[in-house]
Amino acid sequence: MKIWDNLIDDIGKLIPAGVECEIKMINSTESLTRFANSHIHQNVEEELTDIFLTFHADGKTTNLNLNITSMGSVEDIIKKALSEIGNNPKDSTWPGLTSKENSFNGYKDISPDDPDTRALKVKEFIEQGQTYNGAGYCSSNVSNVFVWNTNGLNSSDTATSAFLDGIFRSETSAGSSHIGNQILSDIDAQKVGQEAFEITKESQNPEDIDPGVYEVILGPDAVSTILVFLSVYGFNAKSKVDGTSPIEINVEQFDEKINLEDDPHKKGALNFKIDASGAPKKKIEIITNGIPKNYFHTRRTANELNQSNTFHEMFGWGDSFGGLGTNLYLKPGDISKEEMISNVKKGIYINEFWYCRVLDPITQVVTGLNRNGSYLIENGKVTKPVGRLRFTQSFMSSLGQGNVLGVGSDSRFADSEFGEGILNVPMLHLKEFNFTGGVSG
Amino acid sequence: MFNEINKSIDAAISSGAQYADARILISKSRDISSKDGELEDFSNSENMGLGIRALVGSSWGFYATYDLSDESLKEAGKKAYLIAKASSKVPGKDFPLADVPIVKDEYVTPHEQNPFKVSTTDQIDLIVSSTHEMKKIGSSRAFGRLNFWDTEKWFASSQGHEIYQNIIESGGGISSLSIGDGETQIRSYPQSFGEYRTGGWEVIQSFKFLDHVERISEESKRLLKSPQCPEGTRDLILEGSQLALQIHESVGHAIELDRILGWEAAYAGTSHLELSKLNEHKYGSPLMNIVADATLPGALATFKYDDEGTPAQRVDIVKEGIWTGVLTGRDSAAIAGVSPGGMVRADGYGRLPMVRMTNIGLLPGDSSLDEIISSTDDGVYMETNRSWSIDDLRLNFQFGCEVGWLVKNGKITDMVKNPTYTGITPNFWGSMDMLAGEDEWVFWGTPNCGKGQPSQIGHTGHPASPARFKNVRIGVRG
Repeated sequence: MKIWDNLIDDIGKLIPAGVECEIKMINSTESLTRFANSHIHQNVEEELTDIFLTFHADGKTTNLNLNITSMGSVEDIIKKALSEIGNNPKDSTWPGLTSKENSFNGYKDISPDDPDTRALKVKEFIEQGQTYNGAGYCSSNVSNVFVWNTNGLNSSDTATSAFLDGIFRSETSAGSSHIGNQILSDIDAQKVGQEAFEITKESQNPEDIDPGVYEVILGPDAVSTILVFLSVYGFNAKSKVDGTSPIEINVEQFDEKINLEDDPHKKGALNFKIDASGAPKKKIEIITNGIPKNYFHTRRTANELNQSNTFHEMFGWGDSFGGLGTNLYLKPGDISKEEMISNVKKGIYINEFWYCRVLDPITQVVTGLNRNGSYLIENGKVTKPVGRLRFTQSFMSSLGQGNVLGVGSDSRFADSEFGEGILNVPMLHLKEFNFTGGVSG
Repeated sequence: MFNEINKSIDAAISSGAQYADARILISKSRDISSKDGELEDFSNSENMGLGIRALVGSSWGFYATYDLSDESLKEAGKKAYLIAKASSKVPGKDFPLADVPIVKDEYVTPHEQNPFKVSTTDQIDLIVSSTHEMKKIGSSRAFGRLNFWDTEKWFASSQGHEIYQNIIESGGGISSLSIGDGETQIRSYPQSFGEYRTGGWEVIQSFKFLDHVERISEESKRLLKSPQCPEGTRDLILEGSQLALQIHESVGHAIELDRILGWEAAYAGTSHLELSKLNEHKYGSPLMNIVADATLPGALATFKYDDEGTPAQRVDIVKEGIWTGVLTGRDSAAIAGVSPGGMVRADGYGRLPMVRMTNIGLLPGDSSLDEIISSTDDGVYMETNRSWSIDDLRLNFQFGCEVGWLVKNGKITDMVKNPTYTGITPNFWGSMDMLAGEDEWVFWGTPNCGKGQPSQIGHTGHPASPARFKNVRIGVRG
């Protein structure tokens, strides 16, 4: 890409000897068509080129984040960075730069989708809702990332993604669905709309039930929420460094039915194949038969814990966040949704969780609510829709040994509180889940 | 700069948009974080670009670009129009726009020392020495952060607005984490995730971090040995920063008119409030007086014009417990038949302006925290937020705080850990029976309010003083 080639050419010539430098660039076009009350009301597109520069000299580090317009002359930027670096204290955990041998060329010149295509997907979704009130979004993105450093590394990659996420609302209910794909034209808007419609229809006139400990079946978006919390607050090695992670490697902490891997090379994977250090990502095991196998590492956390780097540095996130897997797959089981429901004596089906927050990271006790489709299951059959419930439940325990009764046979990309497209999961059948409040508080 | 912006606006209008406005922003930020006496992150950021929105029928089309060349600016205007026009494939009723004064004006946040002109050594030394002291005293982990923003904003519209604003914001905080056997306890100052205001380096100096490191370090350690917060129904006394978040979640979001109209239904949710009950609905006790005031000097959401060019103003939201006002934009105000309140802002040049809380504050009462405690027979005093969750109607909430203190017969007795409380919005606010006065009224700031798709982060203010709530369910645990 011309902007990138010019940038590294200019900077490469001007970096003084003895100064380590890393440059990252994100160039993307992010487009999102938003609808509510069954019509499109907001339709946006942003084209951005953000540059992240890190300089390390005399044992000190400084970071400059700019976009191409605010950058001005490369010479001035380098002067500014090197003058600021002198004010900083020593960087005792500087991990060094990625070696030249890790260079990866994945850049592709891809044009963004046009807004008409997204609008047509929205139309197909809304039509499935018949008289129900539809709301949601259809997005499509083209993102290019580049990493260069003074070791001679020069890496790039391109990722495309498209999502359709929507709900229908009746007077007394709501139902949601979600789909993700690399290509907008492959999004099946009618299927997503039909699923949201069915849930809305079946959830009408919900009844309140008493809080308590229930058996639950969790839909993919609810499962995704549990796993993303465990990923951010547990498997993120920064939380281990900070002493707040509950995850212990090679200790039986989860049910043996839980198998989670991070695989950027899986067919249909939505995110980059390099991390923000410029190194290619690898397929790694995160949980195997219920046993944690790896944290998500950055260069710094790998050094601090004296473990091998797993290359999970995030583009655009600072060192204070840590690492996160972005191509996570929970291995499906062999139970269909219908079979799963038939196995429940008395329990609740939860389509989606909402507004989950951690009470204590080390116990992973989280509170949140259900929404967009919940049903009571009695003696193997869905008997009635249920209203709002608040849970206060350890996410570690929810997937703990003996608590996972079944894993669904179908999986899909699911939304989560930390973004879409990073988790592909099936449904789960859990033995116990603790609901601590109902509609009256 | 206005000449540049108008090239985009003209292109949108000549393409067919019925209205267009645009902003060019130069946004600077500085993030400094420290852990255990070491500098963890030092980043300076700066970006510049244009965001233009065009109204066609029932939809906004928005396009943002970093490229400020003539050709690109004109192209941006055309693209905003074409994006809006594509929405007509799924049309609704045309959006009207409420009238606002057409002004040409300038505004700079009053400040003493621009934080970007203060020595970075001083800034780093302050936060590193704070975490160093806490670590030395025995905190398992000591965290500190400083954040500064300097945003220059040029706004123009096809109706003739030309407004320049320079908004300067500063904030930060420190935390002591103590790690025990299978648990962590944390204490923060001035509040969890830091305290933020408009203003310069003087905001940070006013916090006097080093005066508080010993207290929060000792309290986080002491919490590990403290008993659990008891379960049950008791009187609840909230410290100001926790009450500020309670206001944010259970009032601020609920009164956003875009939510009430269903525009956020799929993501952030809607509201339990119905417009037909404005000026009738009982939101809380007669002590409850909430205003949205973007003119409060020094509060985090203080400015002179919003991102639609509407003047900042003070609007009554709840008067003596009755719901009287909403947060509006020019489009939503016109639909609802209310006045636009200057409450639309965007997160940078790359995001579509949307309804945002300004300074949503609870006006002070005539009591004091000491009086509240001395008149409480059996209660818990909770300080500093640790977790927060509320449903998408903004009714059913559960909050956790960093520390609780039992109150028995008018006196604070024991420290308790993991305090939580839960409730339903109108019942909870209806139970407020004592409210501290102006001496304890603080302009708390929240710098991390998420809303919208694509996601936007907003800076909101919540003036509050301590208050008491009767018969609240506390001590919920998993």
